[in-house]
Parts: sequence; structure tokens; C-alpha cells
Amino acid sequence: MLSIFSKIEGYSKSEKPECTSVHEDFEDFLVDFKFAKILSIPYKKSIDKFFYKGGRLLRYLVETLLFVIRLFLPFLGFLIVFKCFRSLTNNKREKVPLIYLRNKILKEFIPVTFWENSIGRSKSSDIILKDPTVSRDHAVLFRREKGWLITDTDSHSGVMVNDQKIEKPTSLYLGDTVTIGGNVLIIKRKESFNDNFDINSTTSKPKKKRKFNQKFLLFLVNIFHFLMAIESYLCVLRKTIKNENILDLKNILDLKNIFHGEIFLDCLSTFFVIFIISWLFFFTTRIFTKRQSFELESIGIFLSGIGLIIVGSEGFQKTYTQLASLCIGLFAFCFLIWLIKDLERSMKLRIVVAIIAIVLFVINLIFAKEYNGSKNWIFLGPISLQPSEFIKIAFVFVGASTLDKLQTAKNLGYFIAFSAFCIACLFLMRDFGSACVFFIGFLIASFMRSGSIRTIILSCSAAIMGAFIILKFKPYIAERFSVWRHVFENSQDAGYQQSRALTYSASGGVFGIGTGNGELKNIFAGTSDLMFPTIIEELGLLIAILIAVSLGLIALFARIYSERCRSTFYSIASCTAGAIIMSQSCLHVFGSTDIFPLTGVTLPFLSLGGSSLISMWALLAFIKASDDRTYSLLFN
Amino acid sequence: MKNSRKRSVLLFLLVSFFLCGVVFLSFELCINSSNWALKPFNEHLALDSLANAGKIFDRNSVILAQSVNSKRIYNEDEQIRKALLHTVGDENFNISTSLQSKFRDQLFGYNFFMGIDSPEFLKKRRDIHINIDSKLCKIALSKLSGYKGTAVMYNYKTGELLCMVSTPTYDIKNPPDLKNKNADNDGIFLNKALSSSYTPGSVFKIITAICALENMPDAANKKFTCNGAEIINGQRITCMGCHGNINLRDGLRFSCNIVLGNFAVALGKKNMQNTTASLGFGKSLNIDFVNTEPSVYDLSADAKDALAWSGIGQDKVLLNPIHMLTIVGSIANSGISVTPKLIKEISGESTHNKLNFKQEESKRYMSNEIADSLKEMMLYTAKNSPISSLFSGSDVCAKTGTAEVGSGKKPHAWISGFSKNEKTPVAFVVVVEHSGFGGEYAAPVAAAMLNHLQN
Repeated sequence: MLSIFSKIEGYSKSEKPECTSVHEDFEDFLVDFKFAKILSIPYKKSIDKFFYKGGRLLRYLVETLLFVIRLFLPFLGFLIVFKCFRSLTNNKREKVPLIYLRNKILKEFIPVTFWENSIGRSKSSDIILKDPTVSRDHAVLFRREKGWLITDTDSHSGVMVNDQKIEKPTSLYLGDTVTIGGNVLIIKRKESFNDNFDINSTTSKPKKKRKFNQKFLLFLVNIFHFLMAIESYLCVLRKTIKNENILDLKNILDLKNIFHGEIFLDCLSTFFVIFIISWLFFFTTRIFTKRQSFELESIGIFLSGIGLIIVGSEGFQKTYTQLASLCIGLFAFCFLIWLIKDLERSMKLRIVVAIIAIVLFVINLIFAKEYNGSKNWIFLGPISLQPSEFIKIAFVFVGASTLDKLQTAKNLGYFIAFSAFCIACLFLMRDFGSACVFFIGFLIASFMRSGSIRTIILSCSAAIMGAFIILKFKPYIAERFSVWRHVFENSQDAGYQQSRALTYSASGGVFGIGTGNGELKNIFAGTSDLMFPTIIEELGLLIAILIAVSLGLIALFARIYSERCRSTFYSIASCTAGAIIMSQSCLHVFGSTDIFPLTGVTLPFLSLGGSSLISMWALLAFIKASDDRTYSLLFN
Repeated sequence: MKNSRKRSVLLFLLVSFFLCGVVFLSFELCINSSNWALKPFNEHLALDSLANAGKIFDRNSVILAQSVNSKRIYNEDEQIRKALLHTVGDENFNISTSLQSKFRDQLFGYNFFMGIDSPEFLKKRRDIHINIDSKLCKIALSKLSGYKGTAVMYNYKTGELLCMVSTPTYDIKNPPDLKNKNADNDGIFLNKALSSSYTPGSVFKIITAICALENMPDAANKKFTCNGAEIINGQRITCMGCHGNINLRDGLRFSCNIVLGNFAVALGKKNMQNTTASLGFGKSLNIDFVNTEPSVYDLSADAKDALAWSGIGQDKVLLNPIHMLTIVGSIANSGISVTPKLIKEISGESTHNKLNFKQEESKRYMSNEIADSLKEMMLYTAKNSPISSLFSGSDVCAKTGTAEVGSGKKPHAWISGFSKNEKTPVAFVVVVEHSGFGGEYAAPVAAAMLNHLQN
């Protein structure tokens, strides 16, 4: 019996698998089965043959299924990203004036389109009053929950409401007159003008909005994650069959740990937990905040889930901290949205937040232990934290400001001092990647605040000079650059990580080699600092590009909404948050693939790292806040 | 708020930068994928890197390497295995210029589309047919008789590379233990024909002669007197004999250092540099995706002294064997140099779809007249030297060389030349390191190769 089998095995080895299709194989099997009956070959023999053929059929089935999933995943991913961002841009509020100002003297209507409007003589004002008695930045007309307000921003001639000079923000009601220099403006509702009045192309006909099903989007995300989990299970199955060279169906079914629990559960439990978390989150936001939009959250869950399942394919227990961080992150997301809802409070809170950030940095510098060349970890018993990740949130918070405060406090002094302190601390911790991220965040935030290109040029040249000085006095930093663009020549020492990253990304190809099948995870920091190459290896270049595009679109979304949001506070915060996400993606993606020197930053949402995941969700909250639907209960 | 929108353009630029970078990364990955994926440290390949790879054939369809039952099997003749080691290559990428390193993607059937885990039906393994004649290589290896060095031969009309042997070598079936450093194994992974350059010694006199013919109208008749030793430009040059007042033709024949040294000085630094540059010094040749080590003609700042020495191929002159092959090939081929071609074709296992290589254009190195007169000079040199007895035919044009390498070591023996015969239009270059006279050590190797071809 044994000899017969070894013959068959030998035969199948030398024979090329592509010679017989599954279909042929199955027919073959039926014929054999019939023959066995007709020729009355002993019963046991035909059963053995049945198992042998069955095993072969199963192997083909696994191969085919894996192949189909690999081809299908990019398509599904594209659908998710496309649907999500179409829904985001479709639901943008149209440029309809909120109220009108009627100029009593010139008898013209001035549309007020934004939630915060600067009034002044300068061309960059939202409401331009061409009158020498009006200051360049005269006043700010803005809307809060309680209604419309106007405040004088240190103008020469002052602002009068109903002929009374104002000192602090003053509420306005319909019919009130506002005197700015020589102009007398009356607040009018938008219906109060007649139809043949020309309204300077500020209104467009309301487009018919296609209502988008947010549940369906989340469901698609779930399917994507489910397919990834199934793929990781099939990869384990295939590997086991291949490595142990098991050909018999009976033996395959005997692999108890594969078919009964353990591995199957291990592969799918990550998915189940994400599934439960995502729907809990969905219904919580629906019920408690009555928010209807869920696109940004969906894309966040999509990205976080991909990272989690890749980590989870090595064993469910490895995802515990990451899953906990996801929950904390989602909580932080909701909390922050609630916190910055009240702009008055937020503006006051900024000083507290700045102090907390400084204290955190100081604690970090004193207590942190050196770990992998940088001192940015604090160990609290079993928990390890990276304070610099949380300071990113504080940084965005401190950088933002409402328009009226921006116009009165024009200098950037405090913010520059705060940023310089943060970046200096990061240098002391030798966390150069984060220092870069903070610097780019600072550039965007300061430009959003002041609009001065001079500040940008000055700070860039300061940074370049600083970099040169550091390279001169600390030559070991320059060593990081020594292997840049020649990692393969140093593949056993300094270029070890990046050369592996490139080799395994190339191994993945366009469609990847399957979730859980990767080898890069075994290299140091394979799922954190080298997450992007790991994604290329396991899911393929197409999905990796898709992930990069969705990260880019998250950041771009901050720009799209920068004009529509309810305050410059939100637009500055969201752009800074977008810049941080983007610069971190740049450093990660290009650093791990040798386009930049390796700096060791995490890929937003995807990399393994609790602190990083929490801070990314918190940053997403700032972007979410800039969407004017977020605080609107009447929308949809 | 209008300003917010305007100022957020910076973020837009950042996003654009990121997306452009991703496009660049994808592009780089597409271009280099097979090179990057098929690295020796790739764990995905650990089990079967060449276990199911395609075959390699020589010009007579002798199988040099093939995979049978998930094992890489090489030619059964040990001498052929040794002679073709540097052409075929090992399995661990040690010999980086070899076929099994450079064309591993073709042999392995890697395609970027599905990555390394392509299903079997998507893998297109290809066989490589090369122009090398394995028997000729075997003869060359045996004639090198244990010395380090290299022997190359090619068809100067078609560019087919017939022989390329580099020593030291080893049998791929029994790789040597390279952990203990042994002087015998120095450069064992180097294909010396492609990736090394030597002091040329007297074979460089051919190049000095080309320069003279190009730049001196009366070069053929100009005479210098050799008294055995002379101080030229402050540098004492010695000669093997005392040749008297002779012209360029006889200078080449006797390999007279003084005549050629005088020619170099008379030509001047600029002419010598122009000629060597136009002959391809300082540039790599591309031989089927392998870049050769460039030859060097570098006159240092105190060039006046060095000029005479450089004219006879000493001092800082370095010559790559394959490059020298193209120069002698161009003399034989009326001044036109054809780039050597190693690969004949790469075919699919079943469909035989040929992969065409972009053939590098043949290049004119010198005018027809100069090539003809040099051909005559080299024929005259070969006929009137003891090496003529080694060659069976009477149509060999060749120049031997003995390159002093200093530091008490024996000189490198060189021969470079070609056969004028229409039936065997081949050029050859042989270098035998640290052996002795060119006529004694290098010429027999070339003669054995040529005689094998002619019979």
C-alpha cells in the first residue's frame, strides 16, 4: 500500500500542476471512482484514492480562492475610497449667503457667506469696504451658537452698533445698524431682497444631492477586513500543507489546530473585534451626537483595521494593546470634537494645553529611558507611552485661533516660542523624525495664521542652519545619511532594514503575496517603521497606493473645508492636523523605501504603536470638526 | 475665512509632494523589481531560488545549467564547469556579473504583476542561449595551466563572444571554503575579463601606434635611434635590446621601448589623451547589461616624465581585457569595433518567443587606412617573432606584451591579436598574471584556442 502511494506522490511531484485544471481533475476523480467500483478494487483502496484526489482538489480550491481574493481586494478598496470621498465632497455646503448687509448709503446688498468674516479696507478681507475711514482690518462679523456677533479689531474709528460704540463682542439682530467708518450697514435676512436683485454669483442652484448610505460604506469596509482575515487563514493552511507535504484529504482534515478552532479563530478574531468596535462606534455617534456623517470615521477604521489585521495575522494576542488603543483613540476622537465645540472655551483652554505639553516634554526628558537610539518612551509599569505623540494634539490645539483673536493679536511670538521649545525637546530626545513632523506642522500653522511668506522663509533657513550645525557637531547623525540611496551595498549593516524593505516590496508585486504570508514582519520594526513596505509585500502595490491616496485625501479634505467651516479655529487646526498626518506619511513611506534616509516614524493609522494610533484619531477629530455638518443637528 | 482657503495652498503642495513621491516610488519599484526581489537574503527564495529555473545553453546547445527535480544541475564535465563558472554563475549571487545573477528574473520566471508568489501558470521561465563555445573555454582554461588571468575571444565581424575564461576558478559542485583567506582564492568571484583592468605593457604600443598614424603625417617613415637605454624627458627608459635607427613598424616588431616612448613624447599629452578617449578609455562597455571596468589612461600632473612611460603601457595606464579585444577587433574589421555579445537569445520554455536585445551600435575607432596599415604591422610583428611557430596558419596578426608590475613580482604576460582569415574572423586577448614573457605564457593559450577553431 505504502509503495503504491509513494509512487503516486512521486508522479505528482514531477508532473506540472498547471497541466490539469480543477475541472479535469474532478472528472478524473469520478472516472477513477467508477472504475474502482466496476473492477471491484478493494473498498479501502478506492477510499484512499478518494482521499488522495480530495486532498488535491482542496489544494486547488485553496490556491484558486487565494488568487481570487488577491485580485478582488484592490477593486474593493478602490470602491471604498472612491465612495467615501465622493460622499465627502458631495455633501459640502454650497456657497449660499447666510445673511445680507444692506449698505444704507450706497443702497447695495453685501452677501455674508462665511461663519467668520473680516471687515476692512484690505483686499484680503471677506467683506471689503472701500472707504478711507475704514481700517485695513476693521472688525470681525462672526456667528456662534447664540447668534451673530461683531467685534472691533483695534480699528481707528471704532465700530458702532445702533449708534453705540462697542468694546467687546456684541450680539446683532436683524434690523440692527452697524456703523463702520463712514458706512452704515443694516443686517438683513436672506429672503429680504427682491428677486431681480443681482447677487454676484454667490449662490449656485442647489444640486440634487444623492443621499449616501453611511451604513453601506462601513459594511464595505467590514467586507474588506473579512476578506483579509480569510486570506490570512488560507495562507496558513496552504503553508502547512506545502511545508509538511500533506497530500491526503484525510491528513489535511486531521490538522486539528487548523480546522478546529485555534488558528481559524486566531485569524478571524481580530476581524470580529474590529467589526464589533466599528458598529458600536457607529451607533454611539448616531444616537448620542445625532451626527449623520461617518465618512472620515469609516476611512479611519478602514486604515486602522488593515494595520490591525496584518499585525493580527501573526497571532491575536499581539493586537491586544493596539485594539485597546483603537478604543481609546475613538474615545479621544469623540471627546475632542465635543471639547472644541465651544470656541470661547477652546481659546481659553489653549494656555492650559500649552502648559501641559511643556510639562509632558520636561517629564519625558527627565524620566525617559533610551530605547533604540531615542529617548522618547516613558514606561509606567506595563504600559509604555510616547509623550511626543500626544503633544502633537496639543500642538495643533495651541496653533489654532479664531479670526477675531487672530486680527487683534497679530504677532506669532508665543506660538513660535512654543514650537521652538517642542522641536528643541525632540532634538534632545534624538527623535529627529518627530522634530521634522512638528516643524512642518509649525510651518503650516504659522502660515495659516499670518499668511506671511517671510516667516516661512525665515524659519526654513533657521532650520537648515540648525541642521548644518547639528551635523557638524554630532557627526553620528550624518552616518544615517551615509547609506542613503545605496542600501543594497550595505545590506548587512546600516542598510539592513531598508534593503529588506525594498526586496520584500518587490516580492509582493502589484497584487501582493497575501495577508500573513510576508517575511518583512520578521525584520526589526517590520510592522511599525516598515509598515508601508509590509503592506506592499502582503497586499500589493495597488492597495499600498490606495492607502497612500486615502491618507492624502484625508489631508486634502482639510483644505477643501477650510473655507466652509465654522471658524478659522477649525480651519487652522484641521490644516495643521492634515500637515502632521501628511508629513508623517511622507517620512514613513519615503524613509522606509530609501527615497529619504530612514527616520523611524510610524505610518498614520496603520503602524503598530498605541500612542501613535490614539494621536492619529485625535488629529482626525480636528479635521472632522472643520466639516460644518459635524456641529449641525439639522443637517440631512 | 477667504484667507484660510488661500493659505491652505501650502497643505495642498504638501499633499501633491507626497502623491508625486508615491508615484516615483511605484515607478522605481516597477523598474527595479526583479533586481530587488531576487536578492540572496530574500527568505521567499530560500527554498527554491533556482530549483525550477530555466536552462542555459552554449552555442552548440550544450547544456551548461538546468534544473531537474528541484535541483540545479550543471554540465557533467568538471573542466567545462570550471571554465564557465564566471559566465554561468553560482546560486548565491557571489558572481554578480554572471547570467544566474543578472538574468535570474528570466530564469526564475519572476513577474512583478503577481510578485514572487505567482501561480505556476503565470511564471514564464526562459532559457538562455549564449554565444560561448564551452569546448574552447575548456581548452583556454587548461592552457592557462593554473595561472591567474583571463582569456577572451570573439568574432570581430558579428560580435559573438566565443570564449571568456577567468581564473582563479572553482568547481561549482564543490565550492571552496572561503572562510580562511587564501591568496589562491583572491578574486575568485571576479570575472576578470569584464571587471578588472591590468597594466598593459607592450600591447599598449598598438594604441601608441594608432595615435602616431592619426596625428603624424610621416609616422610610417619617422625613425628613432635605440641604444638600449635613453633618458627621455628626464625619465630613463631601457630596452630589451639595442635596435639602432628604426621606424614605427620595426619598433612594434622588436617591441622597442625607446622608439615608442619617443613617439609618445613627440605626439604629446593632448594627442595621446584624445586618441585614448576616442578608443573608449575611461568609459564602460555594456555587454548584455554588464558594465565593464573602464580602462584608464591617466597622466598625472607631472605628465612630462610619465608620457614616455605611458607610451609603452607602463606607469598609470590600465587596460580592461574585453576593451582591448574591441580595439584589436576594430583593427581587424577595417576600423569598426563591434561590441561583444554574450547572449544569443532568451527563449520561453514553450513558446520560444525571442527576447530581442537592443544591439549597441558598432562604433568606428579609426579610419580604414590606419586599420589596414596597423594590420600589416601586426602581421609583420607576428611573422617575425618566435610565436609564429605556435600558430598553424600564417594569417595571425598579434602583439605580445610583458607588463612590469613592480614590487618584486613577475610581470603580466599579454597577447592581443586576431586572425586575418575569412573563415575564422576572430580576435583574442589573453592575460596571464605574474607569469613572465608574453610570448612564453600568453601566446600558447591564444594559439591553442585559434588552432582549435581552425581545425
